[in-house]
Amino acid sequence: MAIVAAGALVLTGCTSDSGDTGGDNGDGGAEQTGDTGDTGDATGDEDQATETEGAAAGDTAKPDLGDIETQDDEIYYSVGQDEWSGFNAALSSTNSVYNSVINDRMQDSFWYWGTDGTIYPNEDFGTYELVSEDPLTIEYTISDEAVWEDGTPITYDDFLYKWATQNPASLFSGGVGGDDEGEAGSDEDGEGAVFDSVSDSFARYVSEGPQGEPGGKTFTVEYDEPYPDWELVMDYAFPAHVAARESGLEPEELTQAILDGDGDTVRQTAEFYNTGWLSPDQQLPDPSIVPSNGPYSLDGATWDAGQYITLVPNENYYGPPPATARLTFRFAAPETHVQALQNGDINIIEPQATVDTVQQIENMGDQFTLKTGDEMTWEHLDFNFAETSAFSEQNGGLAAREAFALCVPRQQIIDNLIAPINPEAEVMNLREYFPFQDEYDEVVQEAYDGRYDEVDIEAAKEKFAESGLEEGVDIRIGYSAPNQRRTDEVSLIKSSCDQVGFNIVDTGAEDFFQPGGALEVGDFEVALFAWAGSGQISSGQPIYETGGTQNYGQFSSETVDQAWEKVSSTVDPEVHLEQKKIIEKELWDQLYGIPVFAFPGVVAHDASIENVIFNATQTQVAWNAEQWMRQ
Amino acid sequence: MTRFILRRMGISALVLLLGSVFLYVLAINSGDPLEDLRETRAENREQLIEARIRNMNLDVPWYQRYWIWLVGVSKCFVLACDLGTDRDGRNINTLLISAAEATLRLVTLATILAIIIGVTLGILAAIRQYSGFDYVVTFAAFLFFSLPVFWVAVLLKEYGAIRFNNWIADPSVSWTATAVIAVLVGVTLTSIIGGDRRRQLLTGVATTLFVFLAVTYFDSVGWWRRPALGLGLVILMALAAGVVLTSLTTGLRNRRVLYSALATVGAGIVGYFIFQGWIVEGGYGRLLLMYLISVAVAAVIGWVLGGWDRGVATWVSIGTASAFALAVSLDQLLRHWSGFLEREPRPISTIGSGSPNFEGPFWTGVWDWGVQLILPTLVLTVISLASYSRYTRSSMLETIGQDYVRTARSKGLSERVVMTKHALRNALIPITTIVAFDFANLISGAVVTETVFGWQGMGALFIRGLNLVDPAPIMAFYVVTGTAAVLMNMMADITYAFLDPRIRR
Repeated sequence: MAIVAAGALVLTGCTSDSGDTGGDNGDGGAEQTGDTGDTGDATGDEDQATETEGAAAGDTAKPDLGDIETQDDEIYYSVGQDEWSGFNAALSSTNSVYNSVINDRMQDSFWYWGTDGTIYPNEDFGTYELVSEDPLTIEYTISDEAVWEDGTPITYDDFLYKWATQNPASLFSGGVGGDDEGEAGSDEDGEGAVFDSVSDSFARYVSEGPQGEPGGKTFTVEYDEPYPDWELVMDYAFPAHVAARESGLEPEELTQAILDGDGDTVRQTAEFYNTGWLSPDQQLPDPSIVPSNGPYSLDGATWDAGQYITLVPNENYYGPPPATARLTFRFAAPETHVQALQNGDINIIEPQATVDTVQQIENMGDQFTLKTGDEMTWEHLDFNFAETSAFSEQNGGLAAREAFALCVPRQQIIDNLIAPINPEAEVMNLREYFPFQDEYDEVVQEAYDGRYDEVDIEAAKEKFAESGLEEGVDIRIGYSAPNQRRTDEVSLIKSSCDQVGFNIVDTGAEDFFQPGGALEVGDFEVALFAWAGSGQISSGQPIYETGGTQNYGQFSSETVDQAWEKVSSTVDPEVHLEQKKIIEKELWDQLYGIPVFAFPGVVAHDASIENVIFNATQTQVAWNAEQWMRQ
Repeated sequence: MTRFILRRMGISALVLLLGSVFLYVLAINSGDPLEDLRETRAENREQLIEARIRNMNLDVPWYQRYWIWLVGVSKCFVLACDLGTDRDGRNINTLLISAAEATLRLVTLATILAIIIGVTLGILAAIRQYSGFDYVVTFAAFLFFSLPVFWVAVLLKEYGAIRFNNWIADPSVSWTATAVIAVLVGVTLTSIIGGDRRRQLLTGVATTLFVFLAVTYFDSVGWWRRPALGLGLVILMALAAGVVLTSLTTGLRNRRVLYSALATVGAGIVGYFIFQGWIVEGGYGRLLLMYLISVAVAAVIGWVLGGWDRGVATWVSIGTASAFALAVSLDQLLRHWSGFLEREPRPISTIGSGSPNFEGPFWTGVWDWGVQLILPTLVLTVISLASYSRYTRSSMLETIGQDYVRTARSKGLSERVVMTKHALRNALIPITTIVAFDFANLISGAVVTETVFGWQGMGALFIRGLNLVDPAPIMAFYVVTGTAAVLMNMMADITYAFLDPRIRR
């Protein structure tokens, strides 16, 4: 008993010591990254995500902690109560934030998302270089140090296998990239896609696959056509040698089979790929089949189904070691998080951003730190251009849309509903860039002159008269109910726009987004919903181009269509920026819809934990979990 | 009779089947399973939607989906259940097993506690009808009954977990708090004891003083962080149990029974020293073995010393031995509290059924296992306790008013015999029925309690399925709870039929 107690004392002594050194290093690292010289801000100041002016490029990347040693300590974090499904979160059945937030700690890749959606290269893993823009060719070099946990080097083979698991047409008939997409389930073999991969962009846009030497550390990728989001394609790969071994193949055999286009041999690994890396029985997998290549590992981890999973450091990690030895993800419902934080059951939380939550956390005192910022999800009001709608060209036309835009109290919506959560929140004036991104101000200047910043009832009345709409015309604002915030938004809009002559009708319904719901049928004048930004460059195309799959309001503009064509056919960031200015301007002039705000996000954590940084992207606050450490 | 049972079973099966169709239709129509994907801007949106459709068979009409599910479930009859997968492809069978385990762990203790405390309170309230105690119990019962679970849970987390953990870090009880606690305990005990004014006043003052001194003593020796009972208190508790059991069964005048109880305590003390090492080290196997030995020894003592009353004497001895074992375990638990605190400085969590990665000696492990049960169990107990106490009170009152109780009294039986032998037994019959139904209800999960305390039980399974419009978990939940409800119902029916032939039609 006494020995154990003494041991515990010694241990705590150790941790606090190494914590101090870690902290010093952290500050030192911040000085290096902070180009502006302002060290205080660089290590995750709360306002960083919302500050747009003067933010140096390095500010949104991971801080450089210098030489750090892993502390013998444990940090608790929770995303929600959803159980971990398994090592492979790239399957259609497992692709969720609950899985990837855990798996990302064990799967490094060539790049990562910065706090504002900037893509940063991960040089510990490898480097890449754009060799040619037409044809789009990239040369990837994996670091010589980079190995899987079992010591096997990470090589070209793994990325070749990554390509194969996306069902390329040259390997499997009925795969992607063939001339008849959408018929994947009905090829002559009567089988669907061989691998259940959630993504297929690598196989779709690179029909020949990556080129390199088997077992080599470099390879080149040549795209069939220029593809703006090429950087995102090369995300994490799985250990091909494990897939081969577990399917009764030699690793070289598998690589050769992919190179030879021998679909039948590659197919043998499909069963393992689709099921072998999953844990439906909620038992930890054999460590030998789940080698990590990230800072944390499953070898020595513990998993108590329904309760928590604890990751431990990867002994063979080639990058800086994780700051804390045990990273525990607890499976707890979001509504329990605030009290759990207060009681130390969870140390870092990302609760639902409501006024109540924010106040509760603020009242908890100095021991806890609250960080708010914008997420990459944004709310907007989209007009319906279909014939039946009051805003279509046949009816009210542009004048009616302008009248509506003039009366929507955007600032009031922010002040009443968003600012109490994120005091830095501002009205969002663009669709393709967020207020916290570097390009935002520049694009706003070109695209939007601020004419709808203030509610102007008189001007709106004039426009309304010009549109020729009848006084008291019904404007149905549809959204997915129940959603209190949107109900509040609609009532704010109603109290302002009814003065102009519109009669705003709240048609929020549960089935708004469902097949047969108002959005699909076209039973709306204005749709109120949010797009979750993915950080991609070309993902807006189906929303704004004529006949696009997500262009629910049937907007059509030749200028916009042409600009999008240009965006998607080049990889030149200059062109992207120029064309997006044109798109944004046209969308404002023609009034596709009205952007309102970026969703507020909240992170709260135990104040003793360093390097907790708000991240606007879907990787959430866990994006730099390997850097979290207690002082 | 066989025909009756078969018919009942047939009807139950039909009810289950129709219920499953009904629930399935409701479940799949409760929302849009693709909702989250419709608003996403992910590049692979189409594939995600396609995969979800494939996973959930959304491309076939509902009756085919239902049929797929039914075929899987019907394999249960050959012990190879296939409850399907949820929308992310997780096996429902394993989910269900772990959920049922969590729920049973959570609910069993709460149910047992609620029954024991509820029934006891009800009996006491009935015996002391219209006393202050009765009014307090009635008031509390209605108060608890109408409390919203989520609210109680959040309050308990604030006071039972967060503030308790703050307090235990450096525990001390102020003079005012000590006084308030002492007076409360004193008043409560006074109202239960009854008797004339003078006796009541005496018990009240004595208890208050005792509690006040005890709390002050505990505070001064740092008992809150380093508690223990010590052999003396253990023996005292076992003796008390022996005396109470004897007086409840045969009365203290039956010396043979009393002596066998006392002898059992003596044997317990000897055993305590023999097995000292095992007791401190712990381990479920050893504890069970030691308990079995003590029961065997107690049975022998009762049999030998009991004389012509050996049946009763044996049971009293076994009861006393159990009390001794319990007291010894409690002593060990308390002695390991400080060790547990060292490992978990904030012992009571607001979520989860244990501390992640807990390591420590056996008894601290028991602490970790048990301490997280306290808050949710408290919530569940307090809420279901209310109805038990009300039912017992009214049932007991009714029995006390019966003619045969008056007869028993008039023929000179002592109040103890009248109450325990004549009134209580008859009063318990309707309670038993309620308990059977209630247990079926409780298995269906304390949905809210589970969610609030982060237990992944049956309730969580159901709620998650409902939120994601995923029929597989909902139906798995139904299979268990529906079957439990129907089975309990059927058992009650059959029991009635045995008891009352008129029902067999």
